[in-house]
Amino acid sequence: MATETVALMGNEGLKAIGAGLAVGLTGLASAIAERDIGSAAVGAMAENESLFGKGLILTVIPETIVIFGLVVALLIS
Amino acid sequence: MQLLQKFKRGNSKKSLSKGHANYAYTIARVRAMKSKLLPKETYPRLMNMSIDEITRFIEESEYKEDIDQLARQYEGVDLIEHALNRNLAETFTKLLYISEGDVNFLIGEKLKKYDIWNIKTILRGKYCNASTEEILDAIVAGGRLNYSSLSELAAKATYEDVISELANTEYYPILENYDGTNLSEIENKLDKMYYTGLFDAVGGSKSKDRKLFEEFTRMGIDLKNLITLFRLKKSGITDPEAMDLMIDGGLRCNLKETGKLLPLSFADFVSELESNPYWDVISDIVKPDMTSLVDVETRLKNHRLKSAASFSHVYPNSIVPIMDYMLSKQNEISNLRIIIRGKAANLEDDVIKEQLVI
Repeated sequence: MATETVALMGNEGLKAIGAGLAVGLTGLASAIAERDIGSAAVGAMAENESLFGKGLILTVIPETIVIFGLVVALLIS
Repeated sequence: MQLLQKFKRGNSKKSLSKGHANYAYTIARVRAMKSKLLPKETYPRLMNMSIDEITRFIEESEYKEDIDQLARQYEGVDLIEHALNRNLAETFTKLLYISEGDVNFLIGEKLKKYDIWNIKTILRGKYCNASTEEILDAIVAGGRLNYSSLSELAAKATYEDVISELANTEYYPILENYDGTNLSEIENKLDKMYYTGLFDAVGGSKSKDRKLFEEFTRMGIDLKNLITLFRLKKSGITDPEAMDLMIDGGLRCNLKETGKLLPLSFADFVSELESNPYWDVISDIVKPDMTSLVDVETRLKNHRLKSAASFSHVYPNSIVPIMDYMLSKQNEISNLRIIIRGKAANLEDDVIKEQLVI
């Protein structure tokens, strides 16, 4: 049954699933990493506002993970 | 990694924590708060100032709001003292407000020290018929019991009323044995209950951060016992009943070993200490003919602070950095108090410097 579905889907379908997984899973990974960094940055900022710049930069660093996922998705499709 | 630690932490028997523990938020905030503590270099500068200059200096620092609030009621040394106490209480209750879940529970357990302190202060006040204002002056509302409930307690006419008001608290089983004469026994039991509570809070958990917290607490017990032992020996007390003053659960010294040191004379005690795990810390200042214990106590407190700082770097995402901050804050307050009280009593700078833990 599964083999038949894959055969029906063809290469394009599998590529689309792969691309979706690449973006989706890396998005989740970024979210998990950013959760703690973001809350820590807000905590530090609550005490010292001048840390806003540093906090923002550190919070978005895990975004690179999802960017890699996006690049992989673009390469696949 | 964090999920693994969370799984290992589990729910300890007594844990009443609810909700998500916001370790990252609380620790980052606490570290930012720690960066605002007075640096080491400030203390020699403060030593060269008069009391008015110190008040002005403190007014321009983190204590501004406290000084402004209390300036109408107090002045001079009393103003600084009350502002420091108020700031300590505000800072510690802030820690309770900003933390959630597990972190909040552990901070609350640690801050029970202040609840116990305040209950003891109120009972002592009632014992010596102090007025409500006098009792309230000595209170530091840094725990879960807030200032208004403590004011109500202090306003009660007798100690029986105070105890019956605390009937729904965990302190009641100990307090109900108070008959108006055995205050020191009740105080010792309350202190021991604080440590039992701390151990129960950590109990059974296999996570690395909880183990560090336990080590941190047990090391504090070691040093406290050692200071008590020094004081007992210096006053020539060899009575085995003095063992009641010792706290069980030390990290590197157990009660049995401590008990062996109790019947010795001061000179023998010092020579026996050479096999003590903390001998390296105090070896150069402890002598059989020493007259003052100030150096030893300062050195041991300093060792505690240093080890707290290193503990907090071992596992940064745990309760230990918060405990390190609490200890540093307490030390800052105590140093400032030593300086202003010393200045007010016209003590020499060298005498004040000896007392400071920097």
